[in-house]
Amino acid sequence: MMAAFAVSGLCKRYPHFALQEVTLSLTEGEVMGLVGVNGAGKTTLLRLLTGIAAADAGSVEVLGHRLPQAQVTAKREIGFASEDMRLYRSQSLDWHIAMMRRIYPGWDDAYAASLVHRFDLRPQQTLGGYSHGQRVKALLLLCLARRPRLLLLDEPTTGLDPVARAEVLEALADVLRDERRSVLFSSHNSHDVEQLADRIAFLHGGRLIAHADKERFLDDWRRLLCLGSVPPALSSWPELAQVRHAGSQVEVKVRRWSEDLPARLSAAGLSVQRVDPMSLEDIFVTSVRAGGVA
Amino acid sequence: MNDIQSGAPAGAPPDARVHAFDHLRALAMLAGVLFHAGLAYSPLLHPWWPTADRQHAPVVDTLLWLSHLVRMPLFFLVAGYFAALVQQRRGIGGLARQRVRRILLPLLVAWPLVHWGTGAATTWAAGAVEHPAPMLRMIAEWMAMPDAPSLPPTTGHLWFLYYLLLFGVLHWAGRALELGGLLRRWLDRGMLAVALCLPGLLWPGFALAPAPHPAPESLLPQFWAIGVYGPFYALGVALHGRLDALATLRRWLPAGALLCLLAYAIFLLQLEAGLTLANAAWSTALLEAMVAGWGTLGCLACGLRWLAQPRAWLGYLARSAYWSYIVHLPLLFAIQYALMDLEWPWAAKFATAVVTTLALCLLSYEALVRRTPLRRWVG
Amino acid sequence: MKLAMNIPLIRLLVIKDWQLFQKPLAAHVLAGLFALGLLGLARPWAFYLGSLLLIVVLVAGSCFAVSTSLLEERKQQTLAFVMSLPVSPLDFTVAKLAGGLLTFGVPFMVLLLGTVVVILSTPLPDGLLVYSLLIYGHVLLAYCISLAVAMQVQSEGWNIFAMIASNLLVNPLIMLLGQIDAISVPARGEDIVWSLPAVAILSAQLLLSLCTLAFTAWWHGRKAAFY
Repeated sequence: MMAAFAVSGLCKRYPHFALQEVTLSLTEGEVMGLVGVNGAGKTTLLRLLTGIAAADAGSVEVLGHRLPQAQVTAKREIGFASEDMRLYRSQSLDWHIAMMRRIYPGWDDAYAASLVHRFDLRPQQTLGGYSHGQRVKALLLLCLARRPRLLLLDEPTTGLDPVARAEVLEALADVLRDERRSVLFSSHNSHDVEQLADRIAFLHGGRLIAHADKERFLDDWRRLLCLGSVPPALSSWPELAQVRHAGSQVEVKVRRWSEDLPARLSAAGLSVQRVDPMSLEDIFVTSVRAGGVA
Repeated sequence: MNDIQSGAPAGAPPDARVHAFDHLRALAMLAGVLFHAGLAYSPLLHPWWPTADRQHAPVVDTLLWLSHLVRMPLFFLVAGYFAALVQQRRGIGGLARQRVRRILLPLLVAWPLVHWGTGAATTWAAGAVEHPAPMLRMIAEWMAMPDAPSLPPTTGHLWFLYYLLLFGVLHWAGRALELGGLLRRWLDRGMLAVALCLPGLLWPGFALAPAPHPAPESLLPQFWAIGVYGPFYALGVALHGRLDALATLRRWLPAGALLCLLAYAIFLLQLEAGLTLANAAWSTALLEAMVAGWGTLGCLACGLRWLAQPRAWLGYLARSAYWSYIVHLPLLFAIQYALMDLEWPWAAKFATAVVTTLALCLLSYEALVRRTPLRRWVG
Repeated sequence: MKLAMNIPLIRLLVIKDWQLFQKPLAAHVLAGLFALGLLGLARPWAFYLGSLLLIVVLVAGSCFAVSTSLLEERKQQTLAFVMSLPVSPLDFTVAKLAGGLLTFGVPFMVLLLGTVVVILSTPLPDGLLVYSLLIYGHVLLAYCISLAVAMQVQSEGWNIFAMIASNLLVNPLIMLLGQIDAISVPARGEDIVWSLPAVAILSAQLLLSLCTLAFTAWWHGRKAAFY
């Protein structure tokens, strides 16, 4: 399978922030969720993937095009929407659609019309009169109806009310049914990511701290509740991400779960009472606190 | 609903309306030739017009100024209607391209040629005519001066094209500033209200110019000309797609015509004092505004009633109108200079000048425009 | 520097800028026509008012053109949207320069021609033409500098400073022209005199304008990416 994108050793330095040594790839047809707190470097990574920004070091290849040199060709096949992107307030959605139609030969009018209906947008109204949610949906519509091969969405659900968020997620879920379409979307809301993504990448402080299939993440991570006292050697166990205790109760978060772990913990003096799967958010927060590599 | 109630053929295809407007344009062009030819035999204009003939008659003035007050407003109204039509079909960009091809380029090409043609005829006449008009004599004296100052350039009779371009710019500006709603609201009040307030709109424009108003030939926009012709252009734009609104005017036609003639009669009486370069009195300006406003609307209503069906000769005249408009004045000047020394009665000279000019216009249209690429620009 | 340009998209971006600027441009054109109409009245008070209005329209038009095309785009965050379209920095720069030339250049040329007509066709001394062209030359230069600064500097304050300072320098220029006899004396006469100082000042204005635009195009066009 062709890679939707592949970046290697990517570095980008700004006065107060640096993206460092990011190596990541996405197979065509996959959906990757990029999770990170504000300022983690998600927007920078997405800008590098569109060719809008040039890396200080490393390489970027998107849909077979080397960026930023071939950004014009690549951007014809990319739909990019970011949280800091706005449409023209003095113009209507129809005006924007007319512009997109002239730029993208694959523009799908019927799909655009169905999205207008689904998102309940008024195409003749100027965007100055739209709510924030409507503006986000309008931007998303402009990205989706051009039928891009790669969709790059930076925080697409931020600031949306629950209803608008559900509509946007539904529309994205529809897009994902197309097996040739690849999506990378960033969010600090791991629930959205968990709902849609096949693969997950965690970004923190400009570094990629973990990336894997979603199922592998969920399979690998466990939260164990134990009784006993924490043996000193436990902190050196590589499969454990975090160990906390309150009195005789010990909470252990495991980054590489195996069936023999309860027995080994028992041998070390901890009796495992419960084994629970972890949510993506919990996995992310634990990863960040553990300070890096998952 | 009968024909006139829809302003023109009720339920008739839009083409019938386009025919009516086209025919009105043809007749307005004919009126233009008659007007320019008639100026030579007007006692009022005798001291001011270069082709003024020794033979003149007061009846000419009686008819001349009526056509003068209605003809150009009608042209601008028709032009506004067609501009709105082109804008609807091709968008504002298409309208701009059409204005460049059909107006700006012909103006730029025709301007020096017409200027040269009229100048050559006048230069010849200044030396050859034995009974020159006072103005021609003045021109001859001025030409004889060794260091005669050059006159500022003017658009000559092509001022109409210049103002069409100007109104094209104002049309775009009005659209960009979303002023169309004002026009629509104006028309929403009904055609009678439009007819009643039209003279009020025209009044300041007429008051800023002498009476009868001259041609705004200066290269700088003249407020009075914008004030007089602009409302007609705007009305033409507004009437596009809303000609049904004219239906209400039908029963007011006789009364309107009567009022118009009455206003014109008073205007003529005021003109008897002679022609001055001072601006018109407000009362005179109001009379002009009434005649121009109501006369033009009346012509429009009549045109939509009786000229909506295709007529071969009118169609031909309409197609040749643009070319004839451009070339008629130098031809007419040359012919009238040639007739100046003849002892014919004014009517014979007038008829000869009109027939010969029109014949030359149509022959040259046939030979140079109708079947040649030139028809794309001036056909 | 890669010279391949996406011409259809550049055209589209120019049209976009034109459409966005249309409303203020229409207001400026109306004001400009009004100023020319005042000049057409051929009265002294109308001449002074008309020429003052012309300069106001020109300066305001140039500031609005730069502000709408660049500063507003940045402030309203629509720039990010434009950059996401299939454009390279060179395409973007060329579109902005071409759009600027259209939105500023068209009314500028109309008003310039109008002024030429006024001077040549009214009793005003024809010698005033050279003097007026030097003032127009300055307005053009001020616009080019404002445009170049707006493309380079993100700070709104510095941009406003660049616009105001470059345009206000027309005052010292007018004083300077008054001091140069080779320019101020013929301005009162009927002959159009292209003296050496006049030619030098106009050439410098045109050359600097051209260099400013060319440098801006080169500076931004050579970059492979926007950031």
